[in-house]
Amino acid sequence: MEENEFFGEKTFQHYCAEFIKHSQKIGDGWEWRASKDCSDGYMCKTHFQVKNGTAVSHQGTSAHVQTFLPVEEALDPPLDDLEVTETTTAAEVIKYEYHVLYSCSYQVPVLYFRASFLDGRPLALKDIWEGVHECYKMRLLQGPWDTITQQEHPILGQPFFVLHPCKTSEFMTPVLKNSQKINRNVNYITSWLSMVGPAVGLNLPLSYATAASQDEGNVGGQGKKRSLCSTFPVAKILEPLLHLAMSPLLAPAFIKSAFISDRLDTDLFV
Amino acid sequence: MTDDKDVLRDVWFGRIPTCFTLYQDEITEREAEPYYLLLPRVSYLTLVTDKVKKHFQKVMRQEDISEIWFEYEGTPLKWHYPIGLLFDLLASSSALPWNITVHFKSFPEKDLLHCPSKDVIEAHFMSCVKEADALKHKSQVINEMQKKDHKQLWMGLQNDRFDQFWAINRKLMEYPAEENGFRYIPFRIYQTTTERPFIQKLFRPVSTDGQLHTLGDLLKEVCPSAVAPEVPMPEVCSWLPTWLLASSAEGSHLPSLWRDWEEDGPRLSQQGAENRRNQSPGTETRAVPKRRFTEEDRRF
Repeated sequence: MEENEFFGEKTFQHYCAEFIKHSQKIGDGWEWRASKDCSDGYMCKTHFQVKNGTAVSHQGTSAHVQTFLPVEEALDPPLDDLEVTETTTAAEVIKYEYHVLYSCSYQVPVLYFRASFLDGRPLALKDIWEGVHECYKMRLLQGPWDTITQQEHPILGQPFFVLHPCKTSEFMTPVLKNSQKINRNVNYITSWLSMVGPAVGLNLPLSYATAASQDEGNVGGQGKKRSLCSTFPVAKILEPLLHLAMSPLLAPAFIKSAFISDRLDTDLFV
Repeated sequence: MTDDKDVLRDVWFGRIPTCFTLYQDEITEREAEPYYLLLPRVSYLTLVTDKVKKHFQKVMRQEDISEIWFEYEGTPLKWHYPIGLLFDLLASSSALPWNITVHFKSFPEKDLLHCPSKDVIEAHFMSCVKEADALKHKSQVINEMQKKDHKQLWMGLQNDRFDQFWAINRKLMEYPAEENGFRYIPFRIYQTTTERPFIQKLFRPVSTDGQLHTLGDLLKEVCPSAVAPEVPMPEVCSWLPTWLLASSAEGSHLPSLWRDWEEDGPRLSQQGAENRRNQSPGTETRAVPKRRFTEEDRRF
């Protein structure tokens, strides 16, 4: 394993600060919370999602999807004002909390999350699994340590679900190496979160990508967008992710190493 | 490390006499007697309490039983903490036996992790071992092991097999001759006085000028409110599994394992072994907290 002193705790905090700056600009809801003794802290976001078996009116999409669809971020209008086009089953609103902490043992960021209904009832692991898309499920089930488990939050001491961090370094190294090669500035947190977040219902608006890159004049990345084989089942899900991949933010090479890589035909993305 | 074999065995075979009582609001068909058990300090509650569960379920109806959980004086007990740690943290200043209350309903979702099967305990244990090796050896030793070695480590713990466990664990406790110790010391400091569950930071066993760090140096740097003895770190780490340092809010804040050292000094391991050899059978055991237990206690 290559020495990766590069991603120390100070670096982590720096990238989180940059990430939060952009989040504040676009109202994405991320904030920093320091621990009581202020020696460290974490980045967190709370948002609400509607979980049901049918569609919710949202920007014109009307496909039947099992996965979570985001509702407008600020839940200012009372819940009964939510527009629902079709409801055969009662819609349930779920509160998601995402925390990004630093692991000094693995020297990488770690994603902790928990979900509960509005009445406080927590979601069980099996409910969480239902929201994970099929393509991610397969890969997550293969490795005992690449999976979602319940763990104690190292700062709050409460039960959270965690994506195990031991493979993070493996799929992040090519991203960083490539960014050095093509002389781009990459926000480690943005890249990492854009890869692991979607597996658990956390999506990043694309503007993070353009914010992270400080060299928008270079066309090299943009031109490489390819049409995808439409029979490839995972393609539709990854399409938003691929926009990120093709942007100056991330080189296509990362997909070979992403934890879902063995589900992809990597020749598509050379 | 062979000199420390006595200490290794003392740590492994440490036991806590415990009395399990069913929570008074649980619904039973007849009265439930308390259940007594000697708990291994190095193991986990949900791994060693099958008999406890069976005992109480005998007097309950199936529909009144859901996931078992344990509580001490109102505090839900985190099964994923080693038993010795829980005791040291919460009950070490109380008289023995340790009185634990057993629950079968109203699982405290906000406080406790679920433990639906033994596999979950194994996964948690292996995850801790793996994390410790990430700190000690950049995960090289654990990753080079075969699956069967990982399994042996777990089975050794599950079946209380000291030799089976240490046959594998000794590899995780070695470091190259040219180094003076591990890359970083895997440690966690638990205190009841703090909100965060534990303190864990990067800490090297050797300083930049080649001096061996002591336990005191570690505590001074990461937990200045504690006081510590002057014991060199490599000696500490060669036999102390990472999670056996538990700092109690009572008294001196010394890790509980080390309290005896205050009186007897570093030669305790040989002295302790000699004391045990000299102790006559049937000797009355005093119910004094923090005392090390002997084979005689097994008749409890």
